[in-house]
Amino acid sequence: MPRKPIEITEKIEYLSILDENANVDTKLEPKLDNDTLKKMYRFMLLGRRTDERMLKMQRTGRLGTFPQASGHEAVSIGSVSAIEKSDWHIPAYRELAGMLYRGWSLEKIILYWNGYEEGAVPPKGVNDLPYCVPVASQLLHAAGVGMAMNIKGDKKVALTYFGDGSSSEGDFHEALNFASVFKAPVIFVCQNNQYAISVPLSKQMNCKTLAQRAVAYGMPGIKVDGNDVLAMYVATKEAVDRAKAGGGPTLIEGLTYRFTPHTTADDPKRYRSEEESKEWFGKEPLTRFAKYLQNKGVMTAKDLEEMEAEVDAEIRAGIERSETLSKSEELMNPLAMFDHLYSTETEHLKEQKEELRQYLEHKKKGKKQQNHTAHPEVSSAK
Amino acid sequence: MSQDFLLPDLGEGIHEAEIIAIKVKVGQSVKEDDILFEVETDKAVVEVPSPFTGTVEAIHVKEGETAKTGCNMITIGSGSGDAKAPAKEEKKAEKVADTKTQILTPVGKASEANGGNGKTAPAPTAAPAQTAANSQSPAHHVNRDIPVPAAPAVRALARELKVDLYDVRPSGPHGRVMKEDVRSYAAGALESRVGSGSGSGSSSAVATSLRPAQPAISLHDKYGGGDDKADKTSGGSSMPSMQSTPSNLPDFSKQGEVERVPLRSIRKKIAQAMMKSWTTIPHVTTFDEADITGLNATLKSAEKSFAEKTGSRLTLTAVVIKAVVSALQKYPQFNSSLDDEKSEIIFKKYYNIGIAVATEKGLIVPVIHNADQKSLTQIAIELQDIANKTRAGKVELEKLQGGTFTITNIGAIGGTNMSPMINHPECAILGMARGADKPIVRNGNIEIGTILPLALSFDHRLADGAEAAYFVRHIINHLEHPLNFILEN
Ligand SMILES: Cc1ncc(C[n+]2csc(CCOP(=O)(O)OP(=O)(O)O)c2C)c(N)n1
Ligand SMILES: [Mg+2]
Repeated sequence: MPRKPIEITEKIEYLSILDENANVDTKLEPKLDNDTLKKMYRFMLLGRRTDERMLKMQRTGRLGTFPQASGHEAVSIGSVSAIEKSDWHIPAYRELAGMLYRGWSLEKIILYWNGYEEGAVPPKGVNDLPYCVPVASQLLHAAGVGMAMNIKGDKKVALTYFGDGSSSEGDFHEALNFASVFKAPVIFVCQNNQYAISVPLSKQMNCKTLAQRAVAYGMPGIKVDGNDVLAMYVATKEAVDRAKAGGGPTLIEGLTYRFTPHTTADDPKRYRSEEESKEWFGKEPLTRFAKYLQNKGVMTAKDLEEMEAEVDAEIRAGIERSETLSKSEELMNPLAMFDHLYSTETEHLKEQKEELRQYLEHKKKGKKQQNHTAHPEVSSAK
Repeated sequence: MSQDFLLPDLGEGIHEAEIIAIKVKVGQSVKEDDILFEVETDKAVVEVPSPFTGTVEAIHVKEGETAKTGCNMITIGSGSGDAKAPAKEEKKAEKVADTKTQILTPVGKASEANGGNGKTAPAPTAAPAQTAANSQSPAHHVNRDIPVPAAPAVRALARELKVDLYDVRPSGPHGRVMKEDVRSYAAGALESRVGSGSGSGSSSAVATSLRPAQPAISLHDKYGGGDDKADKTSGGSSMPSMQSTPSNLPDFSKQGEVERVPLRSIRKKIAQAMMKSWTTIPHVTTFDEADITGLNATLKSAEKSFAEKTGSRLTLTAVVIKAVVSALQKYPQFNSSLDDEKSEIIFKKYYNIGIAVATEKGLIVPVIHNADQKSLTQIAIELQDIANKTRAGKVELEKLQGGTFTITNIGAIGGTNMSPMINHPECAILGMARGADKPIVRNGNIEIGTILPLALSFDHRLADGAEAAYFVRHIINHLEHPLNFILEN
């Protein structure tokens, strides 16, 4: 009965292929065709510019509060470009670029952050879930989706995302454990932007890496330069191939930084230093990828410029569509919110819908009569 | 065509923002996305870009102002190139008033009671003095079975400031209580703490001008505070008790009819403030008398011309304020406060004199700030003004704050003397009773003179009896020999 070490064989690797100065490690560089590379860049750019435009909309009262995504494009696009349409994409709330890549229209995204449930309806032809704001809850959905695919014999993967802060949620641990125990084909991608609102990573965990948490659950884990879209692609592709071959889940930590406030209601100056932000801005994901594309001859400076203009026009058109839609009778009808959850209406939803209908009618009448009862409206709304 | 830009909600449920900087000028042309303003909300400093391209026609806010969401910030004309002439008449935007509606004021008319089957209080016969501002304010929440709508942060603030949310008049949508409602309630209520309480605690008045005849006012109106309508709705018997433990009072109703009224609003704050003053400050009172025969005659002779010149009355209280300031400068301990925790005495180098004013709802103490820098004329005018405003419930919040010493005058009603209670955290309070003609001895002869009884209550931790006696003597010397005012400078 001696006391002896237990060998833990897993090693956590760090992967970086395209560095901040656009130097590329040609041995690790993925073999992607020009169209794919262009497409990846285009959606990173579309994500970035949409994010910026949405901030302006929010500041002028045209959009509700939303979590900004600038800086998270490489983690999102590098991973999403490694799965098929038929695979599952299960985002948190900073995967704007990836959602656009998956075919979510701009108007849907804008509608969503303006509080229209229509904005949560996934596009046709892909297996996507909508934005998920309750942090880490989407990881359980993904674990469940993965387990279901095993049962059904579907050879697909579920790709899901979460933040560094979310890794402290019980949901995170439950999801990883279930997925691993049941060998569910799930890829857990951490958008490690080093902050959970104002809480820095050092207050979040006492480990060297987030990726090493994989070891405890018996799955492979890897830490990746999250501003390097190529490295993110490679790490994800490996995980996808493994999962499809029955190898179970993988945890990928993409180290990145959010260049923006947490949401439009946040002020990062209160908890991050200017120097830190500056330093990270130097590691920004789009600039190095654009340089890489130019160096490789995939795109010229002029192509890049043209793409900017295209993207800008696309965004403007999307906003216009969304603003037309949001004024449409159909979308303004609150009763429609009962229609999207189940394919057939359930009894209790029917009841609630009827109650709301009566309330709305009552209100309409009330307005007509200029009825100024002293009771606050809330009392009748229950 | 010109378009208005209204301040949007810049965060989650932000309802106002301070204008830090205005980045454009009237007449300037702006492009969409150009930064118009820098504003600060509860949560962040943010830049507000222009939603339109065009020419700035009018800017409706100023730097430093706080604008509510929905407030018109700027008007931008369509950018047809030709810069329009600068703004016509600038529309006044709906802003958070810099003079917050005074929550202490007696509230508007008793309106219809809605619901509530409890016994209603006696009819409010005469409407008390009311202010336009207040008659529009929504009622505060009275039904204690229903929670007051307020955000957790607001509840926390209320707990911290020991404010009962049911007492606060809400300004938010659907009767929601907002942070500033709680703050202004707390500020107003605190500053209304009173300095004087002789016996029944309801007999202080200021004698600067004739006291208005006491209007008929119901017990509910007088002690229920806040809002007439609100008090009525919850009605007599259903009124919840203030204490959570049953009081061990005898059953008074066995002896005859009684009416129970909740302790609320100003009355409640006075009760709390008095308790604090009486239980935390070791009080001592020193009594003395001033022979104001000469002063009285001087004041009388100046009365008419002063009134004609200023529209105000030159009163004894105004002169006493000047004398008190002089005494405070000589004996600064009476203008100090004790910091118990740090074991330090805080000497205040400014002289803000509070004047106890009786109102229908209870005693309120407006303050004459920097009385040392004001002439007797200025003080007389200001005194009359704030006393009137306080009685009408229109006094500004700032005028209720920052006092360093309080004067209470019951002379218009009577009293041979009194023992006033200190307005915590001040050091002392001067009580003036009725100045009356009395036989006095002058140069060995008995003569008739006007004698003003004075009483100084002071915090014995900060000052001693001898100093207090000197302090009052100093005042008396000035009242008896007004030449001292001139000699001093
Ligand atoms: C279950 C749950 N708790 C709290 C929140 C409030 N909340 C929103 S984002 C966030 C921080 C999440 O940090 P992280 O996981 O690092 O993601 P990031 O926002 O940095 O991308 C919190 C606490 C929430 N949305 N859901
Ligand atoms: Mg984070």
